[in-house]
Amino acid sequence: MMTPITPAVELTGLARRYGAAYVLKNINLTVTPGRTLILRGGNGAGKTTLLRVLSTRLRPSRGSGRVLGFDLVREAHRVREHVAYLSVFGGAYGGLTARENLALAAKLYGKRGHTDGFLEHVGLHDARDKLVRTFSSGMKKRLGVARLLLADADLWLLDEPYAALDESGRELIDSLLVTAKDTGKTVLMASHELERSARFADRILDVRGGTLVVAPVPREVSRV
Amino acid sequence: MSKAGVGDVAAVVEVARKDLLLELRSKEVVVATLFFSGMVLVILAFALGPDETALRNAAAGTLWTALAFAGVTSASQSYQSELDEGALEQLLLYPLPRATLFLGKLVANWLFMLVLSALLLPLSAAVFGASIAQHLPWLLLTVALGTFGFSLIATFYAALTANLRARESLLPVLIFPIIVPVILASVRASSEVMLLGNPAESRGWVQLLAGFDLVYLVVCTTIFPFVVEE
Amino acid sequence: MTYRTPKASSQPALRQPLWLRLLGLAALALLGVGVTLALFVSPADVNQGNLIRIMYAHVSVAWISFLAVFLTAVFGCLFLWQGRRVHDVWAVANAELALVFAALTLVGGMTYSRPTLNTWWTWDAKLTLTALMFALLVGYFIVRGLIDDPERRGRVSAVVSIIVLASLPFNYLAAEWFRTLHPAKSLALDGSGVTMDSSMVQVLLVNVAAAALLYLYFMLERVRLGRLEANLDEAQDTRSAGAPQEVIHV
Repeated sequence: MMTPITPAVELTGLARRYGAAYVLKNINLTVTPGRTLILRGGNGAGKTTLLRVLSTRLRPSRGSGRVLGFDLVREAHRVREHVAYLSVFGGAYGGLTARENLALAAKLYGKRGHTDGFLEHVGLHDARDKLVRTFSSGMKKRLGVARLLLADADLWLLDEPYAALDESGRELIDSLLVTAKDTGKTVLMASHELERSARFADRILDVRGGTLVVAPVPREVSRV
Repeated sequence: MSKAGVGDVAAVVEVARKDLLLELRSKEVVVATLFFSGMVLVILAFALGPDETALRNAAAGTLWTALAFAGVTSASQSYQSELDEGALEQLLLYPLPRATLFLGKLVANWLFMLVLSALLLPLSAAVFGASIAQHLPWLLLTVALGTFGFSLIATFYAALTANLRARESLLPVLIFPIIVPVILASVRASSEVMLLGNPAESRGWVQLLAGFDLVYLVVCTTIFPFVVEE
Repeated sequence: MTYRTPKASSQPALRQPLWLRLLGLAALALLGVGVTLALFVSPADVNQGNLIRIMYAHVSVAWISFLAVFLTAVFGCLFLWQGRRVHDVWAVANAELALVFAALTLVGGMTYSRPTLNTWWTWDAKLTLTALMFALLVGYFIVRGLIDDPERRGRVSAVVSIIVLASLPFNYLAAEWFRTLHPAKSLALDGSGVTMDSSMVQVLLVNVAAAALLYLYFMLERVRLGRLEANLDEAQDTRSAGAPQEVIHV
């Protein structure tokens, strides 16, 4: 299917294995920029693997993929300029403070300017000089959100963004998804919490045994 | 690989700074590593002593043995902090050439080993009765080149084994056969200086060290991206 | 475009092809000739007497082990460059032979040094180098054994083989200088300057050729088996990778 605009994600026959077992099987998926997709499925269904393949962290075992027109393998470094990934753990250094972690991220993303605003936004202002090791998992997640915003990427890959967060944290994710929609970001998110996330979704994809199936969007939440 | 720019150099510095900061913050680990290498010196002194000439002759050998053990421990340690909270995953997603990550970690590792040698040199001089003050610049050059070669291989293999089973015991097995010329050249070059006070005789060894460092710096930096690719 | 095109271009034969069997026989025959020449035709050495006869096998095997390590790294590079599984198969075949030939070299070296120097081990530079290379190859196989994913296994072991190859000149220099306190003076002492009788050179060349042919035979046979194995994996792989799914467009 040809579209005049470059798809945000374009996967052709993509498969990925761990050892001998395939976790993703022969997936064909095209995502128009600006869409928000939810990946739903049990543990081990392949949600995280799909996100990690899109982030260039894992190479496809078969098939090919493009993100915003850049090949996942041959132009991986270009893909990385356009993708931000929020992992379950947060991916920060326990031995550094929140502020130091974010300053490091800013430098490595090649961004200038202060990072304190982002910490303020995610509600970590008071904890900014504490070591991340002492953080709760919710606070680590918030720090991950701050880095995601800082990266200012076009494609957001969110792995269980609501997990481990308290109510204000969940509202933060809600507002994050609204921001994404408003600013034309493409979002792929693995999520169990459908009642919360479904209202932001354009589509829900069921991930079952490494395959994708389009699930009907519940009518009452179908449109934002 | 994209072409290197000012941004990449800055990234190398940032990664190195981060590693050193983490290392400093985990004081217990640093102290344990320092103490461990000190203990290696002392144990070897007991094993070889008390004959003073024998001790003196063994000074350079024991110094580099202690450095080698501590170097493996510290390289392995620097990847532990990456693995703890999934930080390595994030580090690999920054839009940077992978070589910058290698070089950053290499610099941090090397600086750590330099500090370690700065502490061990006087200790070994005291315990083994060797002279370090004579031709100190030449000795320091040897130490700098030797620890650099060691850090190169240790950092590279620490990344290679980062997510393999049995990482801790695997690392020395892989590193030591590669590092033989570095250890040998460093020991010989430093003992020429420490015992005979004759730097000219050790020139060949120092050249060997420089050649090793240069070749492996190029080789490791070039193929590092394949190591972290999954 | 796919990253790993299944290479069914030339399916290796299930049975050993005739030419390969003939190659094996030729290698065996040449080995027989080489051994006969070494044991009965070659003159005894002026200094070492009949012990020189071990040298023919020892030197041939040693040369081949280094060639095999070199080719392991070459195929490793090709694998990194093109990502074709078959290059990994060639690399492993060479690495296995390098390991075996290095082991034979060590055994030969020890047999040689026991009567001449009255010790099982000497710090002869080339022997030391072979011992280090043996250790490095063991490391190569340990790493291989720890990685399940065939592509990552191929990549990482290719990287290791390149590191191993690059270490050989340094290990050689270090081992060479190790015996003497001063680097520069040892260069002429390693026997390479010693002239050999031309009849001995001929015997040596026959033995080298025999070892090379044996190596070639084992390598080709190992590659044949390796490719069969890879094709089997590939077929299973294609099945478990699943049928093409519907195209989802959102």
